[in-house]
Amino acid sequence: MEALLFMSAPFVACLTLIGIHGYFGIHVLKRGIIFIDIAMAQIAALGVTFAFIFHIDHESPWTYPVSLAFVSLAAWFFSSLKCKQPRICMEAIIGISYAVAATAAVLIIDKAAGSHEHTKEMLIGSILWVQWPEIIKSVLVYSLIGGFHVLFRHKFIPLSEDYEAAIKSGMKTRVWDFLFYLSLGIVVMHSVRIGGILIVFAFLIIPSSISALFSTKWLPRIIIGWLTGTVVSLLGLILSWHKDVPSGPAVVLFLGIFLVLAIFARRIIKQKVTQGAS
Amino acid sequence: MMETLLFLATPFAACVILVLILCYFGNHILSRGVIFVDIAVAQVAALGTMIGILLGASEGSLFSLLISLGFTLIIVSAFAVSKFQHKELSQEVIIGIIYCMALAIAYLLVDSVPGGSNFVQKTFTGAILWVTWSDILKTGLLFAVVGIVHLLIYQKTLAITENRKSEMTAAAVRLYDLIFYITFGFVVVESVKIGGIFVVFMFLIGPAAIAMFLASTWRMRFLLSWSAGLVGSFFGILLSYKFNFPNGPTIVCILGAMLLTTALVSRKRVNQTSNT
Repeated sequence: MEALLFMSAPFVACLTLIGIHGYFGIHVLKRGIIFIDIAMAQIAALGVTFAFIFHIDHESPWTYPVSLAFVSLAAWFFSSLKCKQPRICMEAIIGISYAVAATAAVLIIDKAAGSHEHTKEMLIGSILWVQWPEIIKSVLVYSLIGGFHVLFRHKFIPLSEDYEAAIKSGMKTRVWDFLFYLSLGIVVMHSVRIGGILIVFAFLIIPSSISALFSTKWLPRIIIGWLTGTVVSLLGLILSWHKDVPSGPAVVLFLGIFLVLAIFARRIIKQKVTQGAS
Repeated sequence: MMETLLFLATPFAACVILVLILCYFGNHILSRGVIFVDIAVAQVAALGTMIGILLGASEGSLFSLLISLGFTLIIVSAFAVSKFQHKELSQEVIIGIIYCMALAIAYLLVDSVPGGSNFVQKTFTGAILWVTWSDILKTGLLFAVVGIVHLLIYQKTLAITENRKSEMTAAAVRLYDLIFYITFGFVVVESVKIGGIFVVFMFLIGPAAIAMFLASTWRMRFLLSWSAGLVGSFFGILLSYKFNFPNGPTIVCILGAMLLTTALVSRKRVNQTSNT
């Protein structure tokens, strides 16, 4: 009973994360911008470091708007470069932004004592200690962004499916691309605070990879992602509780196991289908 | 003055050997669209070191080095040989998954390995300023061997990168890809020890991207990326010395600024030519 009470907040936090990332992951895979969340998280962190120059502390309410400004700038940068330079793929631009953001933070303030702990915290997070107010805040933000994406699904989905076709259809691609990157950036800002980069990255990539094996339609893929995410979160948290291992990595481990199982399942289904045909 | 030059000669020499090998690989990596492969390889190597220590090897010993290298090469070869084909699950997705699984397993083991989290953190910061001439010589020799191997398979690698696979049998493609990724694995593990993950990443992708903006033939791309890498390292080391900044981050930011400038200038040029 005690375990149930203790685990309810992290479990709900995992469900919140999988809810929004199960959807965004499909976009990320279709666009081939696999490492976007790591870059966005690093850029938001650069904002925090930048605020530090002006003596704005980590806990200050001003950190959030500064981070948000950095994320918006990055969203503008990513969306404006894409149209002009198709020769260099987006992933390269994202990677370089990641490297520059990570190292620029070091230049702004030389590594302070305890920064190792800080990197570790940003990487693996501490979903076990997440507080309800933090969860509620994120649920509100995710619902707003999710609602916005549902409302304008006829813009966002074609844009990720086929950029060239979207331009030809007369859509204002730059504006919608900016909104896409901005909404993803805001989501990542919140998610990393709850779960750390590792779990956010895994929730973004792995459930959508699993669903890509079984379906090409968006709705079934989102549902497959949500189901997998729920089961692995449950298994990961139980493992973490019983074996006293960090919960984020435990959840990611189960995601990996499920991916391998899914690849085998797909092989078997394929064989059955070809046997049935012959 | 003389003393400064001598002091800065070693980090610059280290940058030169890194630039020579990494910019070559970078052009292939960029054209193949496997941008984050080096970060994944470094993470796998760090996990390998931790596994070695769990198996009883002491840190820095030959045994631990062999286990780490062996583990890395197994994963890299599996990646090269498997050729998993799916429309949406590109090689970059597989790389992302390998990266996050290696990171997750490393953190699951962290508490059982003494000083565990250091092995994950160590990859972030390099030690360009502290390299010795004997380090440079050793690494330089290894890179020279890799360079010679790649001179021998130059045309084959190019054909695979350009996706002209019909010229070769499937087995040949696998073999040359295996050589490509195994040598790349060696190079990344050694370079990350010197430069740290961000410098290595930037040397791979930054100069190659600059060259891609300005040139279209492979020969020009290689030459331009080498020049860009050398110029970036030179000014990076100079500035970091003058203003007392850390080396690696300065080089990364300068190369980033160089790329941004190139992107803006070539964009203008494209616009102008399309107007006339």
